[in-house]
Amino acid sequence: MATADSEETLKHPERRFSKDTRNRLTAIGRHAVLLVWAVVVLFPLYWLVSMSLKPAREAIALPPKWLFVPIFSNYAELAQNGEFVYAFFNTVFMVSVSVIVVLLIGVPAAYVLSRYDIPRQRDVLVWILSSRMLPPIAVVIPFFVIFRKLNLFDTRIAMMFMYITINISLVVWVMKAFFDGIPETLEEAARVDGASRFQSFLRVILPSAKPGIFSVAIISFIFAWIELLFGLVLTNQTATTVSMQVYQFIGVKQIEWGMLAAASTAVIVPVLVFLIAVNKYLAAGLSFGVVIKE
Amino acid sequence: MMNATTKESSHASVSSRLRELWNQYLPYWLMTPMVLVMLVITIFPGAYDLYLSLVKYKMTSPDTIGEFTGLTNYVTAFTEAGALDSFVITITFVGGALALEAVFGFVIAALLHGVESDRTETFYRVVFILPMAVAPVTLATISRIMLNSEVGIIPYLIEQLTPFAAPVFLSDIPLLTVTLVDVWHWTPFMFIIFYAGLSSVPQTLLDAARVDGAPLWRRYVHVILPYMKPVLFVAILIRMIDLFRHFGLVFSLTRGGPGTSTQLVSLNIYEQGFRFVDLGAAAAIAVVYLVLIIAIANVLIAKVGFEGVWE
Repeated sequence: MATADSEETLKHPERRFSKDTRNRLTAIGRHAVLLVWAVVVLFPLYWLVSMSLKPAREAIALPPKWLFVPIFSNYAELAQNGEFVYAFFNTVFMVSVSVIVVLLIGVPAAYVLSRYDIPRQRDVLVWILSSRMLPPIAVVIPFFVIFRKLNLFDTRIAMMFMYITINISLVVWVMKAFFDGIPETLEEAARVDGASRFQSFLRVILPSAKPGIFSVAIISFIFAWIELLFGLVLTNQTATTVSMQVYQFIGVKQIEWGMLAAASTAVIVPVLVFLIAVNKYLAAGLSFGVVIKE
Repeated sequence: MMNATTKESSHASVSSRLRELWNQYLPYWLMTPMVLVMLVITIFPGAYDLYLSLVKYKMTSPDTIGEFTGLTNYVTAFTEAGALDSFVITITFVGGALALEAVFGFVIAALLHGVESDRTETFYRVVFILPMAVAPVTLATISRIMLNSEVGIIPYLIEQLTPFAAPVFLSDIPLLTVTLVDVWHWTPFMFIIFYAGLSSVPQTLLDAARVDGAPLWRRYVHVILPYMKPVLFVAILIRMIDLFRHFGLVFSLTRGGPGTSTQLVSLNIYEQGFRFVDLGAAAAIAVVYLVLIIAIANVLIAKVGFEGVWE
């Protein structure tokens, strides 16, 4: 180490610090920036959660009460709010079904795009991606008109369909990338053993693509779960969403901050857990499968 | 198939014929549902928006609904509805947020890339992705609470810790404020993709550059960034598209206000269609918006290309 250092100083006499010191300074600077960003990220989340755990008067006290005894009355009140609870489980139901359906539609198509010679395959993929470029507001207006004509306004089936529209391109792209990464020899071996192409897809390819399917399912779930516009335009009561409930809380004139904070926290807790669960595959999922690590 | 004389064997032959058809045309069966859904969600909305934009569709006067009006809706859109303003606001918002998110995302990814301890690395990586889990309505709540000029912690801290008076964020600098809130929300997206991209740069390439004695910034400019070009391109393209699609956060935070200072095109279309119940004018703006977005995306895809993205 010492020889390396002196060589270093010989080569670059103008450098005032030894390599070791410089490395240490870099490390300190690096951690300082990372720590600041971590605080920027965590502070608003902490603020929201702590507000939901304070009684009304303390919630908006300035200077803030940094130390406080958490109370759960805001959550108890929220659990009593029938509309919120209904909207919460309604959204869980609609989003879950839509994710299952979008996987059933998208995963087999992705397999075909990965394994067969499709004419103009690149154009097909860009076409699929283009569905993701349409702004939801431009998509929702035609469907608003049609759903009203078909008596599908404010129905779960209409909402589930809309959730499928926002996630189908993601599922096809990400799963195609995952299938591309699975060696074809795997299924060829199964086919030699007498399995048909479809059987080898079910029994060999799908199990190997499990992490991909799992993470694309969760990312699709999140995109649908946080959606506000469709609930705003296409629902009224029956098919209402959890985001719509929080939105209506915001609109109330006499804002009950604690309750609003509790409702807002309830919306993100399930998603936080999911997100942490798939954090390893997030880059692959969010980049439409373009970036695949490992 | 060959001895389809008895009933049993003809039964068997039907099912085996079906199985044969299934296997023979397997790719078609597997693709059909996706293609049908895609047709419905790409061709139909665009075509129907175009139709709506050319007819009267004011829900307050149901008798005239469907009457052809030529380009009247487009004229309404760009005069009364202030479509042009909302396009300028949207482009400012998209450009500002995109630039800040890309820069912050890259800097954080590059800094984290040098962390050696696995535990520290995992900790930061998990913390940094958390904002993406926050629903737009929740983020609107957080922003309202924290930025509120009477009870908000951020104005309070600014006044306590600095000699400056805190701005009233959502009325003095509304567009900047929503941009910064979006930067908090979606910098993680850039971070996580860039980070994966950095990890895929081959170590040999980095070592070679280091042996050359190239300083860090030159290693980035001449070795790492060129190698990561496809990744950078994809992340920026996807994020840009999503910024153009933006609706939830700004709608629940400002509803386009004060005045129309944060009225993005999406919000303007919503207002025309559902507050002034004029779906014709709303569709006219939507058509122009669709053409603009698809043009921008196509230019980008053609210019930078998907080389490296497509194997």
